[in-house]
Amino acid sequence: MLSRTAAGLFWMSRNIERAESNARTLESRLINALESPEYSTGAVRDWEAVLEICAGVTEYRAFYEDCTAESVASYITFDDRNINSITNCLGYARQNARATRDVLPEELWQLLNERYLAIQEFNGTWTVQEVHRFLREVKQLSYTIQGIIESSMLREESYHFIKIGKWLERAEKTARVLNVVCEKTMESEDELHADYYYWLSALQFLNGYDAYLKRFPPTMEPQYVLPFLLSYEQFPRSIEYCMEHVREAVLKLEHGQVSHYSEDLFFALDRVMDDFVKIKFRKRTAREIGPFLDDFQNSCGRIGSVFASTYYLY
Amino acid sequence: MLKNYPVSSFYDEMMKEAGQARPHYEKFHRLLHSMEMKELHEKHETAQLSFLRQGITFTVYHEEGGTERTMPFDFVPIIIPDEDWERIEAGIKQRVRALNHFLEDVYQEREIIHDRIVPREVVENNQYFYEQQASGLKLPHNNHIFLAGIDLIRDNEGTYRVLEDNLRNPSGLSYVFQNRFVMRKVFPELFFEHDIWTLEHQMSRLHQALLSHVPVHAPNPDNPTAVLLTAGMYNSAYYDHVFLAQQMGIELVEGQDLLVKDDVVFMKTVRGLKRVDIIYRRIDDDFLDPEVFSPDSEIGVAGLMRAVEKGNAAVLNAVGNGVADDKEIYAYVPEMIRYYLGEDPLIPNVDTYFLRDKETRDDVLQRLDELVIKNVGASGGYDMLIGPQSTAEQREQFRRQIEAKPEQYIAQPTIQLSRAPAFQQQRFYPCHVDLRVYAVGSDDIHVLPGGLSRVALKEGSLVVNSSQGGGGKDTWVMRRGGPQHAE
Repeated sequence: MLSRTAAGLFWMSRNIERAESNARTLESRLINALESPEYSTGAVRDWEAVLEICAGVTEYRAFYEDCTAESVASYITFDDRNINSITNCLGYARQNARATRDVLPEELWQLLNERYLAIQEFNGTWTVQEVHRFLREVKQLSYTIQGIIESSMLREESYHFIKIGKWLERAEKTARVLNVVCEKTMESEDELHADYYYWLSALQFLNGYDAYLKRFPPTMEPQYVLPFLLSYEQFPRSIEYCMEHVREAVLKLEHGQVSHYSEDLFFALDRVMDDFVKIKFRKRTAREIGPFLDDFQNSCGRIGSVFASTYYLY
Repeated sequence: MLKNYPVSSFYDEMMKEAGQARPHYEKFHRLLHSMEMKELHEKHETAQLSFLRQGITFTVYHEEGGTERTMPFDFVPIIIPDEDWERIEAGIKQRVRALNHFLEDVYQEREIIHDRIVPREVVENNQYFYEQQASGLKLPHNNHIFLAGIDLIRDNEGTYRVLEDNLRNPSGLSYVFQNRFVMRKVFPELFFEHDIWTLEHQMSRLHQALLSHVPVHAPNPDNPTAVLLTAGMYNSAYYDHVFLAQQMGIELVEGQDLLVKDDVVFMKTVRGLKRVDIIYRRIDDDFLDPEVFSPDSEIGVAGLMRAVEKGNAAVLNAVGNGVADDKEIYAYVPEMIRYYLGEDPLIPNVDTYFLRDKETRDDVLQRLDELVIKNVGASGGYDMLIGPQSTAEQREQFRRQIEAKPEQYIAQPTIQLSRAPAFQQQRFYPCHVDLRVYAVGSDDIHVLPGGLSRVALKEGSLVVNSSQGGGGKDTWVMRRGGPQHAE
């Protein structure tokens, strides 16, 4: 397989995953915001949290003065100036798919193309209901695409590159959500129920709320939520689960063997897994976990670049 | 349904006279009448959408960048009776064979110039004559033309004539297949009772022909590696490239995916470098290899021509084919056929006048309003004057251009291209059509049954190019032995 094709598949997959998780984060926040006074400091802080997860607060501030539901939703969803806006992510994904369509299932390409063309026709003005509908459609698009991949692709190189992209993106996103949420709980230590609210949001942003309730009491204690999102082995968005799947996909790509050219990649992956083992069985507070998450996000960056050099991606 | 359809002095592919179809269209005509207008309209819309959804688009460039557009599809097919097709097929084979002889000759011995059949300056002044880069190369099968697209038109009498040869990178083959595919899916009932040539096995023939161009030093001559080299997704014919690569099961590569090391071509894969033997390139000569062509090309592969010279790689179509398909050399093709093959051309040319001769030029300048003027180096319907449809201002502009560079232009009588019904806005109206026939060369020449029928959907327009609002039709070649009607 051409390296350029592999890179295209990897990034297509990441962009679709990113569009889906940004859609979910924004959607949860839009619903939660209905119950909080719009211009309170708390509200601004919460919108900033969402911006930090889906884009960047500094970048946002360059274009907008205040943090209202409308402007944040617009920036995250449709704004061309935001490189991680949902429409941009889908545009890149479609472009990646177009450049690799000779190896993709035809249905996947057609679906992505159809959605892209529908977005192009969107005239720019939208109501809140329309945004909600759009975000729901983005999530469903991602589910359908994953379904097509799982049900029709040969388990060969192209499939594994797609999976590596998805799991890596997901692990990084979970780390980012945790990082932002830990910070926010520290900033709002004195406020009543703030902790509860932030840990609940983290679960909602990561599609883990219902799953969490099946295992833990609904009290949103960090001692339960934090390990659940970090390393709960049954939860498919916990960082450890995602990283294990990255490793598994790389191993399949390498037919179960570590060769001299893939040594560095396996080494980088093993190091991350070791770090998890170290913190896993210890009780951690939000404050203590911060440096670990920073470290982890750096490791993800390193894995990304080792991965690229192993397979000559550029 | 076709009651108000006007038949005039133009040759109509389908209708003999008002209300009466030609014999080979009778069944189709009858089937059409059994359908409701509303149903046809809905199906027509479904067909257009299916092209868009599949991303079967080409890119049109304008000042603000590129826009992806689909080629409009019209469901009234062009039906060709078997006896007409046999003549076309033989004529195309003959023509492509002669053109290949010509290419082999001008890049080796140049006998046709010594024998004064083709003037030396016509070859040497040609901007696509790559004497230095293409001379003396030893090509597999001595074949320069792997894929040719020969454009045919029909005049008032219904006689087929060659309008243009495309021997560099003829595009549109994917549309031949997709038009048939969509037609079968959306209008299955129109195929009833017709016995036509299928396109099913054509791709494997193309693939075989491609793989037969094994360079002399291929390490694995029985199992060569072939790729399709594209300029990338922003190229106007990108879909064509994707389709061909997909159907032939070969890698679709860009220049950045290839590199030349020790005069051998490799592609960059996730497992390292992999040797490539055959390159079906869809980028122009000028961008192919910055070492010997345009040095600032970013889509080419440096050193590619060294690999070809050494016999380590084959590049298809061969470099330098442009010398045989421009609008000036076109006029000499009938002579080439006589010279190389000793045969009379089976399909005539359109008469062509050169403007470097003063007497002809003066005559042409007098009659600009009745002639077609073409730039010998342009294609795609650009830099072209259609006299009867031009304004005084446009004619004046061309007069100046011709006087400044007479050797750059040719003149042809305005051919009244044949017409066929097209269905747009819920009615049938006559539109001008042409036919691009595809020939595949290896040790022999194979002609794909039918081809791409292009239609000028703007009423009255003579320009069928997709970049200028042209559309496509399915093309049916009747099989011999099918139920026949006497004319």
